[in-house]
Amino acid sequence: MKEFFIEGLQQFFNYSGFANCEWGNLIMIVVGLIFITLAITKEYEPMLLIPIGFGIILGNIPFTDGLQVGVYENGSVLNYLYFGVLKGVYPPLIFLGIGAMTDFSALISNPKLILIGAAAQCGIFAAYAASLALGFTPMEAGAIGIIGGADGPTAIFISSKLAPSLMGAIAISAYSYMALVPVIQPPIMRLLTTPKERLIRMRPPRAVSHREKVMFPLLCILLTAFLVPTGLPLLGMLFFGNLLKESSVTKRLANTASNALIDIVTILIGLTVGCSTQASTFLKVESILIFVLGAFSFVIATACGVLFVKLFNLFLKEGNKINPLIGNSGVSAVPDSARVSNVEGLKYDKTNFLLMHAMGPNVAGVIGSAVAAGILLSFLY
Amino acid sequence: MNIKHRILTLCIVLCSSMVLFGQQVTDLRLNEMLVVNDSNYVDEYGRHVPWIEIFNTSYNQVNIAGCYLTDDTTGLSKGDASRWYRIPTTDPTTWIPQRSSKVFFLDNSPLYGTYHTNIDPNTSSTHYIALINSNGKTLIDMFVYPEALLTSTQSFGCYDDGISTKVENGKKVKNMGMLPYATPGSVNKVQMGATKSEHLQKSDPHGIGLAVISISVVFAALIMIFIMLKIFGYTATRKDRKAKKEQVADTVAATSTVKVAANEVGPTGEELAAITMALHLFFNSQHDEESEVITIDMPSKHYSPWAQKNLLMKKVIRRR
Repeated sequence: MKEFFIEGLQQFFNYSGFANCEWGNLIMIVVGLIFITLAITKEYEPMLLIPIGFGIILGNIPFTDGLQVGVYENGSVLNYLYFGVLKGVYPPLIFLGIGAMTDFSALISNPKLILIGAAAQCGIFAAYAASLALGFTPMEAGAIGIIGGADGPTAIFISSKLAPSLMGAIAISAYSYMALVPVIQPPIMRLLTTPKERLIRMRPPRAVSHREKVMFPLLCILLTAFLVPTGLPLLGMLFFGNLLKESSVTKRLANTASNALIDIVTILIGLTVGCSTQASTFLKVESILIFVLGAFSFVIATACGVLFVKLFNLFLKEGNKINPLIGNSGVSAVPDSARVSNVEGLKYDKTNFLLMHAMGPNVAGVIGSAVAAGILLSFLY
Repeated sequence: MNIKHRILTLCIVLCSSMVLFGQQVTDLRLNEMLVVNDSNYVDEYGRHVPWIEIFNTSYNQVNIAGCYLTDDTTGLSKGDASRWYRIPTTDPTTWIPQRSSKVFFLDNSPLYGTYHTNIDPNTSSTHYIALINSNGKTLIDMFVYPEALLTSTQSFGCYDDGISTKVENGKKVKNMGMLPYATPGSVNKVQMGATKSEHLQKSDPHGIGLAVISISVVFAALIMIFIMLKIFGYTATRKDRKAKKEQVADTVAATSTVKVAANEVGPTGEELAAITMALHLFFNSQHDEESEVITIDMPSKHYSPWAQKNLLMKKVIRRR
């Protein structure tokens, strides 16, 4: 009886997390806790960092293999939920919600701002070249480069296709830098602009008619999807969501897409991406390199956006000039980077509100990063 | 239902039927065939018998159950399927995954199992195999093979899976012939070279080429949107501009009329000022004296949910 009792306890202990725990798990759990702390105390992208942080903790609770509880074990609940990430189901759904929330008026009223969104995509391809130089394969390099687009769903979508083994590191890196937009971008913006340029006042945007707003998603999807059909899942959903919003006859659908649906998918994507960062697959030199390359691509993207505006201003008449502080908004971290432009602009002129102007390149960045993703897929997939 | 609604409904029905059709057995193609099977594919009984491969060209799985295989299409228009081999509908293995194939044996032994047909090319008077839809009337694909296949140890089929014809220099040409390798159950076009990614790594080791092309494409896409928005803006503001122009013209005309009128008969500026001053004094003198009594008019009670009594009271639980 005593032996049975001891054996039973021993067996139970062997199944517990304490017996299977490794240093890697503990490190990752600490990382998860840091994410949650940052989200709650500093309010850095709490909607994303809390699910991801909690997912990291869930994914790194040690367990015995074969119990069908881990995210990589076939048949487990987490594995079923992870299917949406692995097969690229969640990112287009998030784009549907983004489309239903986004007002493209700023872009429609001042179309030249869209080119800033194109310039900021340089970060993606700079990181691609840098990744190749560091020894990553072209497919892996493409997946890493997309971090520069500052678009979490796109990063997940591309990495699920091109480099599923690196998806955890890429997604965490992309979301981390998106959360750190207010920290990373301002120094680059200040470095690349003169005090005089920061004071440029932009012309107020004109009123945009309902017809223009309705026509915009329809024509955009036709133009972009014909050019880059591989970007169809992302671009299609983005513009479909926007049509739901702007058509004004499908308010219920637009409301669901922009509230309930996007919330559900954000929870699932955040949690499962977090879970995918199991120490055994995540704690590698590659992951550190991905983080470094992610930061590099982000810096390049911001710099390219700002420098492009400066270049663009050389060809614009006085009164039509663009404040280069909105150049950073070419990355698609909506609306964080636009908010950063506004905050920086107000520091130098308390009456110069740049938010509406910055939203133009910001939403152009969403389109640009989806197009860039499509191009990478057509070249590499 | 008016005519517009009818046309719209018809279009919707047509579109949806096309979508359904796109995921059905019509995507199947007879892809490869071998008659002299000396040392190739063996059936589940260990026999070397002639075979034919059916390829699913779509990106969906398709169920081939209920379709017919035959070497004699007589009676196709009447749906007379009595002499054809019908693929059993009770076998769950008849689903063909996307871009995959199934092999059917042409051994004239239909009782041996699902994949054994009643066709034998060695005794057949025709040189084709037809795949017919389950309705017995629609021909899905016809695989015409040369007589030489009856004596050749090579298989005959499509060079590119599921594509029997292609366009070369504006002309439709056959894309079939004797294949170098017999590949029952797998793709005909055996990939021997490097993958897309490997090829790219060789041709563009530093990624500069890809970067330049990609940036150009991104710019091209967004420039297209830019042009479109410019046209949009121009069209949208055309009315406003026109209205503004008219307004300006009206104002100019009105001002000039007033000036002309003033020059002809009207009073001078000093006279106008004097008149205005006189009017001002006159109307001010007409002002009544206030009683200096303040009256307060209480507004009627506006509804507010905050003032609702039942919302402020805690509900008492009733015991039953």
